[in-house]
Amino acid sequence: MNPTLGAYRPLRTPLHQAPAWFKVALLAAVSILMVFVQDMATGIAFAGASLALYLSTLPPWRPALRAILWTFLFATMAAGYQLWRGEWQLGVDIATDLLAVVFLALAVSSSTPMSEMLDLMSGMLRPLHKILPHETIGLMFSLLIRLIPEMARILGESRQAAMARGVERSPRAVLVPAATRTVGFAVDLGQALHARGIADEAVEDHSAEIAEEKQRSRRARRSELARKARRRRAR
Amino acid sequence: MIVFEDATVVAPDSGVTILESTTLTLREQHISVIGANGSGKSTLARLINGLVMPTEGTVTVDGKDTVKDGREVRRMVGFLFTDPSAQLIMPTAAEDVMLSLRRTVKGKDARMRAALEALDSLGLADRADVAVSALSGGQRQLLALAGVLAVAPSIIVADEPTTLLDLKWRGHVGALLRSLPVQLIEVTHDLDSAMRAERTIVVDSGKVAFDGAPGDAVQFYRDLIFGRPEQAQRA
Repeated sequence: MNPTLGAYRPLRTPLHQAPAWFKVALLAAVSILMVFVQDMATGIAFAGASLALYLSTLPPWRPALRAILWTFLFATMAAGYQLWRGEWQLGVDIATDLLAVVFLALAVSSSTPMSEMLDLMSGMLRPLHKILPHETIGLMFSLLIRLIPEMARILGESRQAAMARGVERSPRAVLVPAATRTVGFAVDLGQALHARGIADEAVEDHSAEIAEEKQRSRRARRSELARKARRRRAR
Repeated sequence: MIVFEDATVVAPDSGVTILESTTLTLREQHISVIGANGSGKSTLARLINGLVMPTEGTVTVDGKDTVKDGREVRRMVGFLFTDPSAQLIMPTAAEDVMLSLRRTVKGKDARMRAALEALDSLGLADRADVAVSALSGGQRQLLALAGVLAVAPSIIVADEPTTLLDLKWRGHVGALLRSLPVQLIEVTHDLDSAMRAERTIVVDSGKVAFDGAPGDAVQFYRDLIFGRPEQAQRA
């Protein structure tokens, strides 16, 4: 289980004080740039800068070191495959792209509270409010993030239970109870959402927004018709 | 006031009766519900805030029907689950309480202040920015309670709220629940806690087997479980 999932800690580093939209826009821009720019030096520079940015958020050293090592391991594996195919430059490019994007994502998640991210997401989805209940979508993302440590806990406990029964080599003995308990947890979570009235509010919000939008367009149409009538009378 | 009128719950798939026709009026400030595992006491509790709908009959809270006026009922009735993990939705303690407050308190800063006050009132102020997954079982149950209390319900239904807690937290959470100025319906296996209520309902095999003073109810339950049915019948 990762207790710092989302990794946010309330500090006052420059990145903590930067608005969420800026950090997400920066992440998006760097990700796009990394795809299009296939230059080794740029890749290395961005990877180094992203790592520096991540470290500037003063993350707790143990989880941070683990995250950095795992990222390096995956990047090395990706580069190794290209190296084996004889395309070492492409390998280095892919590895540095991966490092730059992952380190920057870590920097964003460790300096931005989840509530700010959700608000930003809800705001970004607002133009689609006719087809998507944006607050519900924000809540869904939050639930998704909330489920990750729970799933890790359930998987760990299922593995321990399988070991206790001497069947740790059987994937079925681990995965079947883990899947069943995860579904059970999801059902409980759904009931809790219902009990806290959050499911009701989401539906209410969406219906109220659509009703408000309809009323606004009806008012605009009525005033447009009145303006036309006035113009006709004036003529 | 909570009124059950011939409320019956039948499992939709199997057709098994989970709760037989039940007629009750719950007026007392603190009511405990006891019974063996699978007896139907959680179903009885879940009927109160519309988490379970009666197949036949009605359940009303202050005159509001749990089926027709589900939203209003859930605003009046807070629900506390056995496992608080499933009830906590946001990644950190403060964010979770803020989620409950999003309707009643406008403005992010005001909401944060209100959440911190709510956490402080339950002794969790220093846990505000801690990840929910890093809290102890007792702290999680307190946090779940803070989320419920934040919306100022007039009734709290607690379904075995102390079952997963150690002795220290059991006493603390139990005492806290009893001290709240709301009507408390507590489903419990803790007979000491049941004895502190004003009225106790014993549920057995899907029906209310006893309804009365806590002392008599607990004696009835003991007789029922330890095989003195004649005495239990007489009581």
